[in-house]
Amino acid sequence: MNTQPGPDGLIEGVIIGLEQEVLPFVSSEKAYATVAMMQSILQGVRQMLPVYDAYLVEEHNSMTSTLRDAAAALDGVSGPEADRIRERAATLGHLPDLPAPHDREALIDAHTRLGRALEASILDLDTIQRSPDTAEAGDRSLVAIRAHLAPRVARDTAVISVSAGMIGRG
Amino acid sequence: MDDRLAQLLHRLLPDVEHVSIEALEPIPGGFSRETFRFDARVRRGGEEEVLPLILRKDPPAAAALLHTSRQTEHELLEAIRTHTNVPVSASYGCEMDPSVFGEPAMVIQRMHGSGHTSNLFHDGPDVDQADDVMAHLCELMAELHTADISKLNVGGKLSDPRDVGIDTSSWDAYMDSTFDYYIRSYPDLAYDPIAMIILDGSLWLRRQKPRPLPLAVVHGDFNPANFLYADGKVTALIDWENTRIGDPREDLGWMVAMDNMSNTTVMSHPKQKGGFLAYYNELTGFDITPEELGYFMIFGTMNIAVPITSAVKRRVTKEHTQFLHLYLLQPSLPTLVAFTQLLGYPGATPDSDPGANA
Repeated sequence: MNTQPGPDGLIEGVIIGLEQEVLPFVSSEKAYATVAMMQSILQGVRQMLPVYDAYLVEEHNSMTSTLRDAAAALDGVSGPEADRIRERAATLGHLPDLPAPHDREALIDAHTRLGRALEASILDLDTIQRSPDTAEAGDRSLVAIRAHLAPRVARDTAVISVSAGMIGRG
Repeated sequence: MDDRLAQLLHRLLPDVEHVSIEALEPIPGGFSRETFRFDARVRRGGEEEVLPLILRKDPPAAAALLHTSRQTEHELLEAIRTHTNVPVSASYGCEMDPSVFGEPAMVIQRMHGSGHTSNLFHDGPDVDQADDVMAHLCELMAELHTADISKLNVGGKLSDPRDVGIDTSSWDAYMDSTFDYYIRSYPDLAYDPIAMIILDGSLWLRRQKPRPLPLAVVHGDFNPANFLYADGKVTALIDWENTRIGDPREDLGWMVAMDNMSNTTVMSHPKQKGGFLAYYNELTGFDITPEELGYFMIFGTMNIAVPITSAVKRRVTKEHTQFLHLYLLQPSLPTLVAFTQLLGYPGATPDSDPGANA
């Protein structure tokens, strides 16, 4: 996956594009308001993305103990409703805690650093490949890097592509 | 803008007594220039006529996909009209002073024909014209590639129009100086480490230099959207801003890449001639092989990719904020996949030979 631009940079780009390249040409007040609402939603998504996974995990782990606490508070209460609450506490309330997700910024930094290392290695390998004494080993080394890249770029394309062709051309 | 356009036309057409501008509107889809269609109602010698015209204006420098001169494009269009049968717009002239339109601009004739070239493919309404149009397109490309360079390269401006050190004194010098340009430019375009596939392709090109062909004037952006057509004929080849001296196989290679990106099938026509490459070889005698076409798909793509991807990187680093550049990242992904296939990356195609093209 690209780290530059990542999802946040792309969404920010859409917000700026709407502001600079669409809104100045919108003549209907209703359409103007709708574009502004779209920008607001997109900005909300930008703010949600950095914390989304972490908050889901935190809330998941909190809900298990909440189910247990809610059941415990019904000590001495009988009836089918209370029994169902106790049943939920005994099952879902005892799910194991989920681990905290990786810090996304740290992950992007580490990923980018490794990508730049592969990039620099391709440049070094070209010198090795052009020397008759080391060309064969250089070729083998380059194949190792290419074997990493091919499935990666194919997967990126499958995930990111939306429709065939280029919008706005012909 | 109407007044400024009228003033420019007065300067470009000194025999005109009166000019009024009508129906000025932007044309969507021009990725590298801002284009506007308009009609100029002119009176000269007491007679009134309407000229269908286009204003082609450079975008702001940071957002520009290609840094080339409108004056050079103007001189080229007039040279092509004079010395070949390739249909191109008449060029009326330029306004190189950026204070007039914001950036340098030129005025050209608006040509007859449909620009909705996607209608020629798949189940489009003009699919019955596809073979005839593509046969004509191939004949025009063959004519351009065999035209006398000295007549089209006015003032030598097509030898190195980007001013990046290209040497066209021989085919070898051209190729070597272009490899150097591609490799040297990599830091300017590497918006993300995944661009290392482009770096790999550039270095591979230098290691695998093919047999020479005579240098030619190449269109430089020969793609499925850069022609107009009507009644089974090409009525105009358009967008000559990247034209230069080069290897004629570059135009064909870039068309292969753009066929892939545009979901079109130019290269499979004309079917009765065995496809575009076979017909082109018949017309030129160049005997270009599919392997050479693959090589020049990467070479020709690099020629466009260097300036365009550099503009994308300037968007990613926020030197400018135009939206188009972010969008281009999406449809260009299949080109990276095509690079991995042509370079024989392991796993890029089901039967690829690991290391075959290392």
